[in-house]
Amino acid sequence: MKWLYRLISACMAFLFAAPLVWMLVVSIKEEGMKIITVLDWFKPPYSLDVYKEILTGTKLTAWIGNSLLVAVLVMVLTVSVAALAGFALSKIPFRYRTFMFFVVLAGLLIPGEATIIPLYQVAKDMDLLNSYQGLIIPALASPVAVIVLKSFFDGIPNDLLESVQIDGGGTWRIFFRIVLPLTRPALASMAILTFIGSWNNFLWPFLSITDDNLFTLPMGIPTLMSQYSEDYVKPMVINAIASIPIIILFVTFERQIVKGISMSGIKG
Amino acid sequence: MRMKKMRADVQALMFLLPFLVVYVLFTIWPMIKGVEMTFYKWTLIKKMDFIGLDNYRQVLQDREVWEALWHSAIFVVLTTPTMIVLSISLALIANRQSVLQKFYRSIFFIPSVLSVAVASYLGLFVFQPYTGLVNSILHLIQMLPGDKEIFWLTERSLAWIVITLITLWWTVGFNFILHLSAIQEIPDEIYEAAKLDGANDNQIFWRITLPYLTPITKTIMMLQIIASFKVFMQIYIITGGGPLDQTRPIIQLIYQTGFRKNNLGYAATMSYLLFVILLVLSALQYWVNNRKGAEDR
Repeated sequence: MKWLYRLISACMAFLFAAPLVWMLVVSIKEEGMKIITVLDWFKPPYSLDVYKEILTGTKLTAWIGNSLLVAVLVMVLTVSVAALAGFALSKIPFRYRTFMFFVVLAGLLIPGEATIIPLYQVAKDMDLLNSYQGLIIPALASPVAVIVLKSFFDGIPNDLLESVQIDGGGTWRIFFRIVLPLTRPALASMAILTFIGSWNNFLWPFLSITDDNLFTLPMGIPTLMSQYSEDYVKPMVINAIASIPIIILFVTFERQIVKGISMSGIKG
Repeated sequence: MRMKKMRADVQALMFLLPFLVVYVLFTIWPMIKGVEMTFYKWTLIKKMDFIGLDNYRQVLQDREVWEALWHSAIFVVLTTPTMIVLSISLALIANRQSVLQKFYRSIFFIPSVLSVAVASYLGLFVFQPYTGLVNSILHLIQMLPGDKEIFWLTERSLAWIVITLITLWWTVGFNFILHLSAIQEIPDEIYEAAKLDGANDNQIFWRITLPYLTPITKTIMMLQIIASFKVFMQIYIITGGGPLDQTRPIIQLIYQTGFRKNNLGYAATMSYLLFVILLVLSALQYWVNNRKGAEDR
């Protein structure tokens, strides 16, 4: 039985890895190779010329830069905005607190996809189309992040906060000196999930951006692909260049990512 | 006392303000604005004619709309059960004590961090006739005669299979991690006790592991249904909605109506139909989760 289990495991791993391995192998082949059988994909000669060509001859690197810039800013700002709001909902005893909580909770029910058309009109009225601001600002209100962070803040005992208050610390001090440091793992996980979400976001950039200097990666790739349909090498180089940074990022932060997903129990 | 309350209110407002501003401007306001748009023939350059309830009347009778909704529903039905089975299987594989444990965990998750465009194009090339990886391998192992090709995207049912496989490959990672961490939380003593009672691997899986996974599986199922109903990008890249619009999901139709056919008002009306469906699904999810909570207590 054990060998059967191992065989199935190995097959699954092969299925998951195969497209990526194939992408990398084809991406280092020379252009215009002849393929008659599948083995031809894996035969030399190899060369990195196409990488050079794509990196210098297209806007791909600029688009990766745009994606990174947008994802990093969305990540930092979303988590900041959500941490502030989550703190108020969790630790400040203000009037209408329950009401506000339900207002945020209601946001979980509103799917962005269903309001995308009016959002386009609103962004247009506010002159946010075709701009970095337009890519970033509408993404910042994340009810999920607020609710998740609030539930983590709820876990901090109020006695601890009161002791700081007695020592003369104000609300801001409590927020920065106690609440944020104590929930750092939750903040980091939320940040990473937000980053991946923004990195993969397609619909809003697709609708709001027409200037190809402002394209993010998910939009830029289809634009490039439509030019190279015959040969596989260039498309695979494009795919490889687009994936390598994010895979490196994943390998570096694997533990936090895995922890973040399992801790929050939500999909990114 | 009153002063203190006031201070708390002001402070709370300060903390909530950044969120509220963005939330109102880019979630609440578009929702209201959208209602207005549904009463107009509203185009991209904003030339409007008030047409009352015409958009609503039209949307209920529009065959394209119902077909697109149906396609989104097909996608839900295809991806949800397969996703759950795959996710649990991968979690079991990665949970086995072995030197490859870390490798399995990474390899099952890595596709999820790829950009949707990369995942879709990679899948597209893998399933290409003549030169794609799948057909080439089928030729190599002689499952497919050398002079025959499978045209994966020209037939409706095959196209759905390709879309489903690529989606599973690309997105199973998140659910797999959720299942894996749920499996790892099952106390060892329970397994040990079961083994002492003479339970075999099969019984342990069906009687212990699977019941323990039920709460997270329910959550994953509901999230998956909602997420799948909102599918757009991978289908748009892989088949473009084809062949003959037979895989076109509702979001693609909304996009095409608004931006290609230049009718934002009608597109907004369609998206409210979608909204109602998603709202029902979310309410269902809430109900499922609450019932789960009740059982736990």
